[in-house]
Amino acid sequence: MSILEFARGPAFHAAIIVFVFGVCWRLVGIFLLRRHRDRSQPRSGGLVAGGVRAMIMRSLPPHELEKQIVFQHASGYAWHLGFFATILLFGPHIPFFRQFLGFGWPTLPNSWVLVLAAITFALLLVLLLRRMANPVLKQLSTFDDYVSVILTMLPLLTGMMASAHLQPFGLRYEDVLGIHILTVCALLIWFPFGKLMHLFLTFPARFQAGALLQRKGVKA
Amino acid sequence: MNATAIGTFRQELAGLAGRAQPSHLSDAQRVARAKEVILSRVDESYATYLETCLHCGMCAEACHFFLGTGQAKYTPIHKVDPLKRVYRRETGPLRWLFRLVTRDITAGELESYQELVFDSCTECGRCDLMCPMGIQISPMIGIMREALAAADLAPPAFRAVKAEQTTAHKVLGVGRAEIKALAARIASEGVKVPVDSDRADIVYFATALDARLFPESLKQAAKIFNRTGASWTLLSASPELLGTGESVAEVDLKGILSEAEQRGAKSVILPQCGHAYPRLRFDGANILGRALPFEVLSITEYIGRELQAGRLKLKPMQGQPTVTYHDPCKIGRGGGVFAEPRAAIGALGLQLREMESHERTNYCCGGGGGQFLIDKAKHLRQRAFEIKMREVDNTGAGAVITACNSCRYNYLAGASDANWQTGIQSLVEMVGAQLTD
Repeated sequence: MSILEFARGPAFHAAIIVFVFGVCWRLVGIFLLRRHRDRSQPRSGGLVAGGVRAMIMRSLPPHELEKQIVFQHASGYAWHLGFFATILLFGPHIPFFRQFLGFGWPTLPNSWVLVLAAITFALLLVLLLRRMANPVLKQLSTFDDYVSVILTMLPLLTGMMASAHLQPFGLRYEDVLGIHILTVCALLIWFPFGKLMHLFLTFPARFQAGALLQRKGVKA
Repeated sequence: MNATAIGTFRQELAGLAGRAQPSHLSDAQRVARAKEVILSRVDESYATYLETCLHCGMCAEACHFFLGTGQAKYTPIHKVDPLKRVYRRETGPLRWLFRLVTRDITAGELESYQELVFDSCTECGRCDLMCPMGIQISPMIGIMREALAAADLAPPAFRAVKAEQTTAHKVLGVGRAEIKALAARIASEGVKVPVDSDRADIVYFATALDARLFPESLKQAAKIFNRTGASWTLLSASPELLGTGESVAEVDLKGILSEAEQRGAKSVILPQCGHAYPRLRFDGANILGRALPFEVLSITEYIGRELQAGRLKLKPMQGQPTVTYHDPCKIGRGGGVFAEPRAAIGALGLQLREMESHERTNYCCGGGGGQFLIDKAKHLRQRAFEIKMREVDNTGAGAVITACNSCRYNYLAGASDANWQTGIQSLVEMVGAQLTD
């Protein structure tokens, strides 16, 4: 069995199983915990609307505070957009999605995506170095923070190598592609155990905050 | 109130820590008690917050203690690290994994967090606004405070106040007798102050700070109630008994709520006290286990409402003096009371110049959440107050008005240390003094 066959076959299937089961386990484990009922009289109604509003509005900080976090905010958006554009708008990825979903969609030229991926990788590298150097981030950072960012960078790096037909150490193109898929598997396996879970938890957290602040009559 | 009274009071606060009784809990008992509090309080909503944190550090940029000192240890989310670890090891969905890779909390570590959750946090909630995930950090710091208090690791000054509350039912020397004496003194000056009446539509309180430093606040509030023609009474139970969980037993709060209910109160109005407001307004029903049978308002809300209804009329001040308004965190960001004080300022004929950070993004005065009781933290308080002074100075206003006597005390103490000359005024006192004849 070649690296590519292993990556596309048992490795990918195992990664999907860990990902799906792990995400469900963690979400169910959180949402099944008891919840204290708030009996206080809301200052203003529309708690659900307040929650939904916060799910959207927290995408931007209060404008009064924005100037203090411009870099974190802009860089965060930039690499997320670049990362998802690389996944979803790269032509060679579409057959994979078509296989699962039964349909595809228009993509960007491969060379554009390659540039986008390179920028995203560079941004993640800068953010990783910043995490290691900034006293606040360094203090907060755990194994999870470093592993999560490195495992996010690896598919970008190996994907760029495969796309550019770079074949270091005498590896064949198929091997490089296999390694790329294996790095995606690693990301999927790690996903339920670390901070990457924020993909599923951000909006519930924002909703709670919005409803709570609405109860107090404060714009979230 | 004068500088001597403030000076004497500050000296008394400086001696509070020395009055605390030593704790005899073992390290194991401390850890067990802290864990018990954390596990009883962390529910699904807090779990969601804890699981969502990205360690992005943006909350630091909202915290006046971090901004004032530049020290990473004052990053808000860092202050709840022990809570997070207890959750992850004990109740989180991946506890089987985190027990292997996350160290347990220790008594020594809890003790080291005293500085982080008491000295350098006023639970002002500004970090809660900044977090892109919506994580409400300040209530979790509140849980940390309760956990440390249960482990007898609250600052000695807090423990001394709690002991006084528990044994003498007084706060800083003020109990029912002192509140009654204050009411009698005000009555002798010709202002009617009904105390502990059997029936009243409105129940009002006075605070220890009112009795010790700002008696004019109660006098002017009484004039306002009398002018609106309300059926009201002052309850002699001090609202500091409504204090945060780390300093007082819930039984005291239940007793106070019961006293108000027995009098058939339709409204319970809290004085200029950011400390008591959220405790009764938002926590009261949860502690009682049922909806409160009355509405809870701050005196600022009441004034705003009565002005709007036309039952209260004020004489505008001459010359349109310029002022700025300090939103007390627990009443403003913690309670949504923004429009009412500004309506009162408008009715007073004052020219309001807002600070750059106002309403929901207002900076704390530096001494909220009982921080002003901690003498060893005064250097941190002053660093935070310097941010406030800069914002006030930038408005060019001649005075700063606030609606919380704890904030007012912090301003006065901070101004004294910094030799800052800007006037510091009380909203309720200004309103009371400008009632139409």
